[in-house]
Amino acid sequence: MNINKSNPLLLHPLNKWMKKKKWSWFPHQIETFHYVRTGSDVVVFAPTGAGKTLTGFINPIDDLIKLTKFKGLHTLYISPLKSLANDIVRNLEKPIKELDLNISFQVRTGDTTPYKKQKQKQKPPNILITTPESLALLNSYENAKEFFHNLKYIIIDEIHTFLDNKRADLLSLNIERLQTFSPNLQRIGLSATLKNKQDAKKWLCRKKPKIVSYENSVLPKIKILESKERIPWSGHMATYSINEIYKEIMKSKLTIIFVNTRAQAEYMFKNLWLINKKKLKIAVHHGSLEKNLRLKVENNLSKGLVDCVVATSSLELGLDYGDVEKIIQVGATKGINRLLQRVGRSNHNLNTPSKAILVPTNRFEFIEAKAAIEEIKKNNLDKIDLKEGSFDVVAQHIFATACAGQFNINDLYKEIIKAYPYKKLKLNDFKQLINLIQDGGYILKNYDQFKRIFQLKENKNIYKLVNKRETRKYRMNVGTIIENPMLKIKLGTKTLGNIEEVFIQNLSQGDSFIFAGQVLEFQSMKNNLVQVKRSKSLISKIPSYSGGRMPLSTNLANSVRALLAKSNMWDLYPEQITEWLKRQKYISKIPKKDEYLVEQFPRKKNFYTVIYTFAGWHANQTLGFLLLRGFKEFNYKPLGFVANDYAIVLWSLKEVKEIKTILNLGLLDKHLDNYLEETSIVKRLFRDNAIISCLIERRLPGMEKTGKQVLFSSDLIYTVLKKNEPDHILLKSSYEDAKKNMIDYDRLREILKKIDKKIILKKLTSISPLAVPIILEINRENLSKKETDEYILEDLENEILKEANVLSIN
Amino acid sequence: MYYQLINFGNEEFHAYPNKSLYWKRLNTLIVSDLHIGKSISYAKNKQFLPPYDTKEILNKIFVSLDKIKPSNLIVVGDLLHDVFSTLSIKDQDYKNLSQYMKNTDFIWIKGNHDKNIQIEGIKNFTNYKIEKFLFTHIPIETSLFQICGHYHPKVKISHRGKTIFKTCFVHNEKIFILPSFGILTGGLDIHSKQISDVLGKNNLSIYPVGQDKVYKL
Repeated sequence: MNINKSNPLLLHPLNKWMKKKKWSWFPHQIETFHYVRTGSDVVVFAPTGAGKTLTGFINPIDDLIKLTKFKGLHTLYISPLKSLANDIVRNLEKPIKELDLNISFQVRTGDTTPYKKQKQKQKPPNILITTPESLALLNSYENAKEFFHNLKYIIIDEIHTFLDNKRADLLSLNIERLQTFSPNLQRIGLSATLKNKQDAKKWLCRKKPKIVSYENSVLPKIKILESKERIPWSGHMATYSINEIYKEIMKSKLTIIFVNTRAQAEYMFKNLWLINKKKLKIAVHHGSLEKNLRLKVENNLSKGLVDCVVATSSLELGLDYGDVEKIIQVGATKGINRLLQRVGRSNHNLNTPSKAILVPTNRFEFIEAKAAIEEIKKNNLDKIDLKEGSFDVVAQHIFATACAGQFNINDLYKEIIKAYPYKKLKLNDFKQLINLIQDGGYILKNYDQFKRIFQLKENKNIYKLVNKRETRKYRMNVGTIIENPMLKIKLGTKTLGNIEEVFIQNLSQGDSFIFAGQVLEFQSMKNNLVQVKRSKSLISKIPSYSGGRMPLSTNLANSVRALLAKSNMWDLYPEQITEWLKRQKYISKIPKKDEYLVEQFPRKKNFYTVIYTFAGWHANQTLGFLLLRGFKEFNYKPLGFVANDYAIVLWSLKEVKEIKTILNLGLLDKHLDNYLEETSIVKRLFRDNAIISCLIERRLPGMEKTGKQVLFSSDLIYTVLKKNEPDHILLKSSYEDAKKNMIDYDRLREILKKIDKKIILKKLTSISPLAVPIILEINRENLSKKETDEYILEDLENEILKEANVLSIN
Repeated sequence: MYYQLINFGNEEFHAYPNKSLYWKRLNTLIVSDLHIGKSISYAKNKQFLPPYDTKEILNKIFVSLDKIKPSNLIVVGDLLHDVFSTLSIKDQDYKNLSQYMKNTDFIWIKGNHDKNIQIEGIKNFTNYKIEKFLFTHIPIETSLFQICGHYHPKVKISHRGKTIFKTCFVHNEKIFILPSFGILTGGLDIHSKQISDVLGKNNLSIYPVGQDKVYKL
């Protein structure tokens, strides 16, 4: 657009404050102000440090100052994290207090006291800062309509985190509800820069949709750690480079080391302390630590009282830690967006580049790190795919609606299908979800006298909650984030954090493990509290946390393929990598960008087939299973498979002769249902579905003791339902979730559609260099925990390397 | 059907993977903790579990009766989950029950869940003695060998770094605890305080129930 030469923001109430701070308005702020003022819903894309938060508030503050008589709630600000919500309040406070503006603002999250919440309902502030879950709760109160009927703006912060998950579904439904309450409501989205900006616009905007975008011209400086040590063939712990990482920490004032899992965080933290001769202040931060411990680390971080924090994605979003000088990313981020987000945590100043060092933990990750750096230079981000909304979230929303008062199902349906994720929701599915909330929605009508909501006799379209008690149940179950059963860890009387029940079940009394950076000895488990004491043991386990495996993004996968094929680049790599690739080229082949290399070779009486798909772990895992089935049909007597992000290896007793016949789209259509069945993927997702749809109650920490809560094994429910009513809406919902999230169905379909013409088949006499990493994973996965001592691995590794004749590379 | 031979009180019993126990010499089938109607009793608190448990449990019993044709069927407690449970039994199933009762003697021992409930035509007892064996829901002070239920025993098995929980038959020298025959019923670790107080910690014979087989640990 043409920005008026006279900047309208110069007349804005905040202009004085900006001048005082010697700041000037960004072009995207001027543009946003204009569009919103002329009635548009807007999504603003801007990097951190470009005044994004302020951008959202420009129009609300302008309005509020002009409408001196405005009373009640004017603007709602949605933040993805509680901690971020508090941070926003602090940022908003500065100009409003300094200019003495007559605008009230408050935060409302799960941490807000009931007293304060009550007061907010009686006398709402002008601006309320909250989370999607708290908004859903607000909408479930009887007076929700009065509360929101004057609402002018809803601002969604970090909207890129809300596009492709169930939380986004929940938020989208609640935004539509607000729009019903207050038809003049305008929507403003704030986002980190995205590849598919149009999709974010489609998701959020209704009125004269507009995109405002501001790209940072200063590129981050990212390099790969130059290590004198050899990069391991496989593994994820980066033990090889610990000394060099330590040196990097010493060089900078404040460093954040990002790792991908909580287990890695504990491990990295422990290893750094083992070599911490200079007594650097190193802390650890992850989502399972007790809130107070986390807050302490965050505080120390913002005050610059630590030298280094080892963190997971828990420190990825929002909060501005101005003094962070350097980011070290250990392990591959599997996607460009996540890497950029993390790198952006350093140096919140637009004009100086962020600095980051990548530490690949194995050889493929080296190529991946290279590829990521290339893509960032080209500003080629990952696409975030919008997904169709999940059914279970609608069920929860129906329950919430009933809590707010009687409702007409036709009106509700019309409102729901306005939300982008539910545009295609079928009326019939919606009605089944109504039934699900009413009495479980079973064909066998056993529960007629026990309904939760019921139809009015005088109007069959109107439903009403059976009694007030149910509202409490809804409020205990709100939200879409389901954690695995967790137990609290107590050291004396002090709570250290939460640990997965599954991990504790594997421990015996006296076993030691690492948590919160300490070696702890498991003593007992009582009332779901895990009692521990400090331990001096040198042998300790690292708690594992299931889930959260990020698959390699398609974008990055393509880049990795392209980079591998560019043999003229190889000489720029560390010698061991160059040699590895050269030898691969000599012994087998380096696949071209669009080729699928398949290698076959005999090894230890078995026959091996390795397929390099670069399709990401989820898709490869699925494909591995399907091929196992396919091989069985051809009577090759397959024994097993292992998948990683890049490849799949299958081993069988007989030679696989017809790989080209087996590997095609038919494989997917034929065996997919079987796969979902046998791997219990749907079963696991059913648990989430049953909880989110409020069919069974959520298990909350501390509630077990009271005995009030009824716990059910969702597995039992799944089995009974599957056997007796396989078409039940929740089974359908779980199946759809599996297709969307767990098996990368669409991606696999795309690959299998075209794969048969692009297979390059190499028959080898022994294992190839490229296959070494994945073959090593077989041995790792098949070893029991106790056997995974380093020397055994070392031994195995040497054995395999000898076989591949690549020992000389080291 | 495969069964596991269990020697208890110098008598031979057969443990079946469907969680029933058969005393061959007296042609007596023993089951425990069916909790018929568990789903419907939760529905009154708006927890809508799939309402198919009653039908499934009864079918399981009927299949066993057809195969084994026992002279006696002993239920060692908690046949029904609570007073609402009978609502979930369909008329046809009542008819089937009375058919079976023509050839099989039903001995219903009351448990803590069903002590105040009656079903017309089924005899009930607080406990029941046959020779040197006492059938009771919860074990009592006695010199007799006791066969009981109530605890829904499960055993934790750790092997090769993996841990699984399995429903099991378990006994010590004097007391035998049956697993729950129900569908939506959970379980209790045999090393939990409640079960240890009854069986002690040592010299337990444990029989985990697999898909088609009862194992012996």
